[in-house]
Amino acid sequence: MDSLIRTFSEAQTSRHGYQLAQTLSPDLPQQQLQAIWQSCGHHDAQNVIKRGIQNSTSGFEKLPKDEVQGWSDVYLAYWKAIGELLPALNQAPQASWTKVYDAWKELLSALYRGYIGQGFEAWSIPCLYVVAKNLRIFALKADEERNNNVAAGDTSGQIFQDDFDPESEQHQKLEDCARQLNRIFTLCLNDRAPLEESRKWGIYYIINLLFKTYFKLNSASLSKNILKTLSAYRGDMPPLSAFPKSQQVTFKYYEGVLCFLEENYHQAEEHLTHAWSLCHKDAMKNKELILTYLVPCHLLTTHTLPSKKLLEPYPRLQKLFLPLCDCIKKGQLHAFDLALQEGENEFVKRRIYLSMERGRDLALRNLLRKVFIAGGFEEPKTEGGPRLRRTRIPIAEFVAAISLGSKKAMDTDEVECHMANMIYKDMMKGYIARERGFVVLSKSGAFPGTGV
Amino acid sequence: MQWPSAQPPPPGTQPPAPYPYSTATAFTPVQVRQTFGQPYAAAPPASYPPPPAYGPLPTHPPAAPLHTNPAAPLTAAPPSTTPEPAKKKIDWPESVRNYVQRSFQTSNLDPSVSRAEMEAKLKETISYANDQGHMYSINWEKMPLPQEMIKEERARARALQQASSFSALSISPTSGSKKRKSTDFGEGAAPPWRNGQNRLEDRVTFSADKRPAPVEDAQSKNQSKFQKQLEKRQKRFDGGYKSTYREPTPPPSDGPVVGTCETLEKRYLRLTAPPVPSVVRPERVLRQTLELLKRKWKKEQNYSYICDQFKSMRQDLTVQRIKNEFTVEVYEIHARIALEKGDLGEYNQCQTQLKALYKMGIKGKSIEFKAYRILYFIHTANRTALNDVLADLTAAEKEEEAIKHALDVRSALALGNYHRFFRLYNDTPNMGAYLMDMFVGRERLAAICNICKAYKPDVPLRFVTEELYFESDADAAQFILDYQGQDLLEDRNGTVVFLTGKAKELFEGPRKAAFSRVDIKGQI
Repeated sequence: MDSLIRTFSEAQTSRHGYQLAQTLSPDLPQQQLQAIWQSCGHHDAQNVIKRGIQNSTSGFEKLPKDEVQGWSDVYLAYWKAIGELLPALNQAPQASWTKVYDAWKELLSALYRGYIGQGFEAWSIPCLYVVAKNLRIFALKADEERNNNVAAGDTSGQIFQDDFDPESEQHQKLEDCARQLNRIFTLCLNDRAPLEESRKWGIYYIINLLFKTYFKLNSASLSKNILKTLSAYRGDMPPLSAFPKSQQVTFKYYEGVLCFLEENYHQAEEHLTHAWSLCHKDAMKNKELILTYLVPCHLLTTHTLPSKKLLEPYPRLQKLFLPLCDCIKKGQLHAFDLALQEGENEFVKRRIYLSMERGRDLALRNLLRKVFIAGGFEEPKTEGGPRLRRTRIPIAEFVAAISLGSKKAMDTDEVECHMANMIYKDMMKGYIARERGFVVLSKSGAFPGTGV
Repeated sequence: MQWPSAQPPPPGTQPPAPYPYSTATAFTPVQVRQTFGQPYAAAPPASYPPPPAYGPLPTHPPAAPLHTNPAAPLTAAPPSTTPEPAKKKIDWPESVRNYVQRSFQTSNLDPSVSRAEMEAKLKETISYANDQGHMYSINWEKMPLPQEMIKEERARARALQQASSFSALSISPTSGSKKRKSTDFGEGAAPPWRNGQNRLEDRVTFSADKRPAPVEDAQSKNQSKFQKQLEKRQKRFDGGYKSTYREPTPPPSDGPVVGTCETLEKRYLRLTAPPVPSVVRPERVLRQTLELLKRKWKKEQNYSYICDQFKSMRQDLTVQRIKNEFTVEVYEIHARIALEKGDLGEYNQCQTQLKALYKMGIKGKSIEFKAYRILYFIHTANRTALNDVLADLTAAEKEEEAIKHALDVRSALALGNYHRFFRLYNDTPNMGAYLMDMFVGRERLAAICNICKAYKPDVPLRFVTEELYFESDADAAQFILDYQGQDLLEDRNGTVVFLTGKAKELFEGPRKAAFSRVDIKGQI
């Protein structure tokens, strides 16, 4: 404990937030945790810690009384949490991640109080990061532990409801964690101090944690509320680009994925590209995550397929995308359907199934384009005149192509329906003359963006 | 924070490592700490050191003297933590030694009293006697054993607790007795058999100390910073720390209610307090209720009555935690009735429950309802939920007719294949058509937009009727007229044609409007 206090005092003197945050980390070798825990007993911990904090700074740098009390509470809470954490790490019989979570939550509350009323200064916000981050981890562990002994059936608090709520039973602690994080979010957001010493600098770190939590809770929609609140305050906020890059990338990634889930592909692409360009070149895992959504985005907005070179370093993405890309390129409808089915579980898991499915339009477009090209050229009207492609194509040709491509007989009406879709989406220029059984395609650019 | 450790390192000589914990700490890991819930039991029992002259006491843990926590201010009272035999050699009378031995005889041990408690109690008793100089005058033979005293105290505390208004502090008898000792050390309080009345107060003060210290409101001189003042002000507005210091609400102690109500019908009332058994119907009664409601529904078709009754049934099931096939049946029937009446809010509540109940492995019409669920999310255009549904389906389920149908509907719509969609609409299993009715209108608009843009110069009205699955040409014409399309219909030699080429953007506006709002009661 005394070396903890020593680090505390060093950090206080140099106003080094990350160093200070280190003293509140639970990720220490067990020996060290053990040492902290045993450095004081229940009856004296409070006094020992308070005295330590009091003596840690002196003279000019002396901490105000409020702050001493605040930090003492924080370290007392930390010490208590360690006491719960140790048995849990050792899988002792009386251990419980729920207790760890609760104790850790106390720590977060102590910090919260410190910022609200005991004059903790904004440079120390990395403490919030460390504590909040671990709160989420402990919440996950507590939920997992509880769900593993369902027999315990702790459903208290559900009693007033008309129907039971299975989701919240499963994620009790994580939901609580989301509430705590939200408090911290407001704590950072509502700080009206001048920017240089504002807690607003903590905002994106906390938002990213919140996003992570909401995604896990399957309530990504709640993240939207955060974004709304944020944009309401944007005027008073330091620009995103002033924050650490790691926070920018994470934030942009989530913002992009949120748009993606709403089928807002253009905005999604913008955010994801931003994240992609800022992402550290060696952060392969992150780059892979970004690409998972950026590739489908790009496919749908610009109708372009990822290059081999782009996907080269990511074998998993290759496996995910390449079969489909291949079918799209060749206009193979049936193979596309099979590939989509093949990858369905993976796609669904990453929430890109519904987007990838729409790639079928591109495969179809490419198939129709082949029919158009196979139609060849009209006889030039005047000798030596420009050769013109045949633009009046019997529907029967398309019916044959699509039936062949999807390996089942299609009736004319359904083929027309597909063509109507293509025309409606501007992937094909022209019209269907139903009565005469022809499709009339545009003389200039029947398939926009494909060179014909 | 200076420990009187063997060699306090001068500040600055510490290695710069972030956590230079000396491995030479004088303690060894003593596995006596348990939980925060029992603060004192956790403290090593060593606070009661056996005096050196003390005979062989097999009952004292050898680990005890290792307690190196000499933060002694608290324990300034008599028996100092570190025994100093040279300074004051107490001659323990034989009677006291016997007393201690008697306490730890196996036959006298009580499982409800922990060793730590006993040791603390012993120490307290003996040191009190020593301080008062009664060591030799007390009849140690007749002195109650520590475990007896502890149990008596617990009983007293319990009685007092019930009588007192301190219940908010919720001192459980056991933790009370443990906490109490801590105070005694600090104040050298009288042993319990002398002033039993004070015990609770002691505990109360102690537990009050244990709570987070109240934040001082004093205006600190150092608080010149803008930020701090701001926060102070904010604090005043907030009314101090009430919000952060809320006492935890007492957990609902009881398990599920077991109902005793015998009346079949019950009006639905939202619960605002724990349920009372006398107005909750047990499953046996609820089964009769369900039969009654089924009959009534067939006969009267009074939806508001039925819905109300079903809600109260669901409530009774929930508060009694009844989750079985009967529960599934209730929810299924309610869901079907709600579907039929287009009450999507209630329907959605039911299907959410059903999903969870099926997941628990309770049998029911899971295929039917999973298919509805897909159709429902198509209607609400809830992509995330749709994705989740897909993720939850097993390969076998995807082959089931109803689910396959729903999945086909989904994919037809995703690909804009209205031709196929309307064929599927015509052929919907179970009650799915009620759900499809809800979005068939907007899909017709989408399809007609497609047709208008793709077909030139016109199509027979018949074609529209067939493609969009209208009952008759008249219905199709009415649909077009509803959107001010009167100019687009033309009679040509007895057949009506639809002038798609002239429609332009006529249906675009309504289409956008139809897809932009999906407002359902109860939908988040």
